[in-house]
Amino acid sequence: MANTRLESWTESSPEPSWWAQWKLRDWAWFAGLSIAAGIILGLYGSSFGYWQFVVLAAWYAALLVAGLAWRPVQLATLGIVLPALFAVWLYSIGQTATNNILLRDVLQGYAAVMWMSALLLAATACYLFYLFSGRERVGQWATALTWAGVIMGFIGLGVRWRETYLGHPDWGHIPVSNLWEVLVLFCASTPLFYLYYEKRNEARALGAFVMPLVAAGVGFLLWLTFAQHMDRIEPLIPALQSFWMKLHVPMMFVGYANFTIASLIGLGYLLTERSRRRGSGMLLRVMPSSEVMDDVMYKAIALGFLFFTVATILGAVWAAKAWGGFWSWDPKETWALIVWLNYAGYLHARVVKGWRGTAMAWWSFMSLWVVSFCFLGVNMFLSGLHSYGKL
Amino acid sequence: MQAHVDGLAWQQPRWRLLVQFLGSMRLAVSLLVLLAIASVIGTILSQQQPYQNYAMQFGPFWFSVYRELGLYNVYRSLWYTAIVAFLVLSTATCVTRNSPRMLREMREFPIRQRDTVILGQDHWVRMATTLPMAQAQERILQVLRAAGYKPRVEQKDGDMAIAARKGRYHRLGYFLTHIAIVVICAAALYNADVPVKWAEWQGTLKPEQNFDLPLSKIPRTAWISQNNPAYRGIITLPEGQTANAVFELAGNGYLVQPLPFRIHLQSFHISYYSTGMPKDFTSRVVLYSPQGKVLKTGDVRVNHPMSYDGVYIYQSSFSDGGSLLHMKTYLLGASGAAPGELSGRVGQTLHAGNSGYAVDLKNFNLYNIVPKAAVGEKATPDHPTLNLGPSFTYIIHNPNGQAAEFKTYMTPMRRGGQGFFVQGYREALGDAYRYIYIPTGPNGSIGLFMDYLAALQSAARTGANASQAIFTETFQQVVARHAPGMSTTEQSHFLQASMQTLVQLHDYPMPFILSLSSFDHRWAAGLQVTKWPGTIVIYWGCVALVLGIFILFYIPQKRIWLRLRPRGQESGEVELLLGASADRNRLDFTKEFKRWTGTLEQALGVDHAEYKEQKDGQHTP
Ligand code: HEM
Repeated sequence: MANTRLESWTESSPEPSWWAQWKLRDWAWFAGLSIAAGIILGLYGSSFGYWQFVVLAAWYAALLVAGLAWRPVQLATLGIVLPALFAVWLYSIGQTATNNILLRDVLQGYAAVMWMSALLLAATACYLFYLFSGRERVGQWATALTWAGVIMGFIGLGVRWRETYLGHPDWGHIPVSNLWEVLVLFCASTPLFYLYYEKRNEARALGAFVMPLVAAGVGFLLWLTFAQHMDRIEPLIPALQSFWMKLHVPMMFVGYANFTIASLIGLGYLLTERSRRRGSGMLLRVMPSSEVMDDVMYKAIALGFLFFTVATILGAVWAAKAWGGFWSWDPKETWALIVWLNYAGYLHARVVKGWRGTAMAWWSFMSLWVVSFCFLGVNMFLSGLHSYGKL
Repeated sequence: MQAHVDGLAWQQPRWRLLVQFLGSMRLAVSLLVLLAIASVIGTILSQQQPYQNYAMQFGPFWFSVYRELGLYNVYRSLWYTAIVAFLVLSTATCVTRNSPRMLREMREFPIRQRDTVILGQDHWVRMATTLPMAQAQERILQVLRAAGYKPRVEQKDGDMAIAARKGRYHRLGYFLTHIAIVVICAAALYNADVPVKWAEWQGTLKPEQNFDLPLSKIPRTAWISQNNPAYRGIITLPEGQTANAVFELAGNGYLVQPLPFRIHLQSFHISYYSTGMPKDFTSRVVLYSPQGKVLKTGDVRVNHPMSYDGVYIYQSSFSDGGSLLHMKTYLLGASGAAPGELSGRVGQTLHAGNSGYAVDLKNFNLYNIVPKAAVGEKATPDHPTLNLGPSFTYIIHNPNGQAAEFKTYMTPMRRGGQGFFVQGYREALGDAYRYIYIPTGPNGSIGLFMDYLAALQSAARTGANASQAIFTETFQQVVARHAPGMSTTEQSHFLQASMQTLVQLHDYPMPFILSLSSFDHRWAAGLQVTKWPGTIVIYWGCVALVLGIFILFYIPQKRIWLRLRPRGQESGEVELLLGASADRNRLDFTKEFKRWTGTLEQALGVDHAEYKEQKDGQHTP
């Protein structure tokens, strides 16, 4: 018997080089991105400063890598870019939200964000229902709704970017300049990263922990919209008129999104362990194994830490270039440092001391408060000291 | 993982123990968390305020306790600096101690490894194959290559060792991150003007506490050397003036840093969006050499500093630079008298005739596009703001020493067809402003109302009762005398508005009202001037940090050792022992290991393989 197996084993060829593993769609992705970058260069390249080249190259590389590492990014990018471009085109031929029903109800930045909110709330409900019922179909719906919400959110941001220029060409800015806009970014990017971890680990039940926080974010967003009218487009204060913002803020939110996911998985871990100790509970049925949760927690924190480091450095470099000091101990900066030190501590404890399990899950979960304070608390409770708030 | 931390013997000289303590992971994690917690303090207590504010907030006892703890400037306090220094020291120790071992590991990779080491790996597998040695070796190499490794072989005494690794440069990540931390902190320390701190500590530099001294009167002990390698100071420069030094806050006072050139502010300009929000602040600046030669001319804008010879000039704030204001004074109840005139510059104290009243002109604002709610108006979503034109702020002291602060807007506000002069006042600095609204007459001034007020008061003095008839009658007389052109609707609007104003005036603290008639505006720009030669080091440190983190996270080191030896003379079987570990992403590696050991079993035609028992029993295939 052994011999039959021996004969049947055919030589496996050495691993082909990485690009030889590309499928057709990967080549299409590569070609499409390259063409898009080429068109942008052709149209605007002559007016680019050297930093714009850096930004373009960064986006190109990031999308290329993300699309290859996780193929759904390819379709999602198309699903975001094409409708957004369509809306921009509608605006360019003189259509507006008042005379075009598609713009008014779907594609307009504000409308798309409302769609995002509704879809993400529905997705959250599905994830929770999935957790309680364990029904596969509900879980599939949850994932699909989350994807739809993410796509609508990014369409909203993209179209809003164009809208900031409409009527007031000198107002134009990337829509990450006030609390409303960054909250949209948060609500759209957190589920996006979550979907990656869900797919990679086949761990759908985690959504029942991650998505409720996103839903809370959506609730806050809606409150800002209806009670505070913060969705209005406003011009930028002078201190924020810098291309550094285009790099600094979005990277910060890669960090926030991943940290948030890690903390909520920490919560899931703790509750699942509790069920395990008690020997019962629906969590045991649907939640992934502790190893997987522990691993996802670490990976999310690692990715978040990398981006958070880059974003903080970019912020410091921006401050140095624009206002004359890397670091002025303004509360936001200080809290970014606190978040960073906290996770540096976490990584050392885990990687070097080899801590695992409940203690690290608690650490990760409690970090949620630190991160939220840095994101929201500083703006709400510690205002007034921003050195750039003066101008 | 911990071997390098715990592996040293107990009986060590003192300093070895100290080094061991400094490089220990426990200290590192504790310091990271401690620093995070300590950093919170400075965000709760607002930093570097004038000491009077703290004294008022905490009372004398706690004020001095907190001062001794350095809480008013936490991040420059001795203990905070000490924690950072400890962390840097600990990191440096850690790097120095780990370097030789890690460098060796990176350079050398033994192909032959003792069985105990192989069995000490995270994963191992033992199996036996009937294939001849050479063929088994061939297939093993194939499997490993297919999994992306580049195995190496060493043959000795009939047995064979195969080894492979990925992520050889993983350790480089450790060096890059940790050395970067040390470098960045060192460069930051250099930039945080250590020589000045040193001189201050030595007593050769003494911060000056009096903020009202002109530059020429500031004692020499507060002047920093011109050769100071790094500095960061501010200067408030009125339009048309020149300065050759900047100020650095130090404790409760300041130090003076002379500059290698003179800065002249030609003009300052604010541009606005259509909403009234500022769009840009621009200072037009000329730099002169000490001999008076023009070195450079240009604009300093927010986000767009100007540089000259390693010194950078930033637009950091703005204020009034001493605008000339011309005001009218209306005495409340002085009948028919023409309003008085008063003129002065912002920053001056004026005396209103010889009445004993003094007016401190505090500030002037060229534009006031304010939220409606700020002046007690109802905001609508479409028109949330109101343009009230220029305003000025002043404090009036009466002869008895009482004082109140006022804020007067130049442009009247319109409400329901009637114009109103808006005047805010408060009797204590911390209070919110209260507003009175005085109706303006057909010529846009408050003269008509003042006449009406005077007429009412003289009517009251002659014994008239405060009846509706008297109000209307007096008003009619005043209108006939001073504003005969007023239509009846205008009159009724005005009369109605006046009734409310009369009520509001009850609480008004001073017997006269100032209104602004014209002004000659002058700005002052707040400029920050820095010289930071350590910057380039910090940039490279940051690059190393990010690169290092990337390597640590995403290029894990994976190592495989494998031993093939014949099992006894007769059996003809070959025994294989394989051990492997990864130092990051162990879960992924477990899967990977399972995958290619499975292939290996197939390739070698093995029925049974013995795997390492995993503690939790999860990963055994
Ligand atoms: C501000 C201080 C420090 C920062 C920001 C920092 C940062 C980091 C980071 C990001 C990692 C990678 C963790 C991972 O791979 O998941 C790491 C690993 C490590 N750190 Fe630190 N660290 C600091 C101080 C220290 C100190 C004081 C020590 C010495 C006790 C130390 C020893 C180590 C060791 C041994 C590793 C593992 C390296 C490896 O496995 O290749 N670190 N550090």
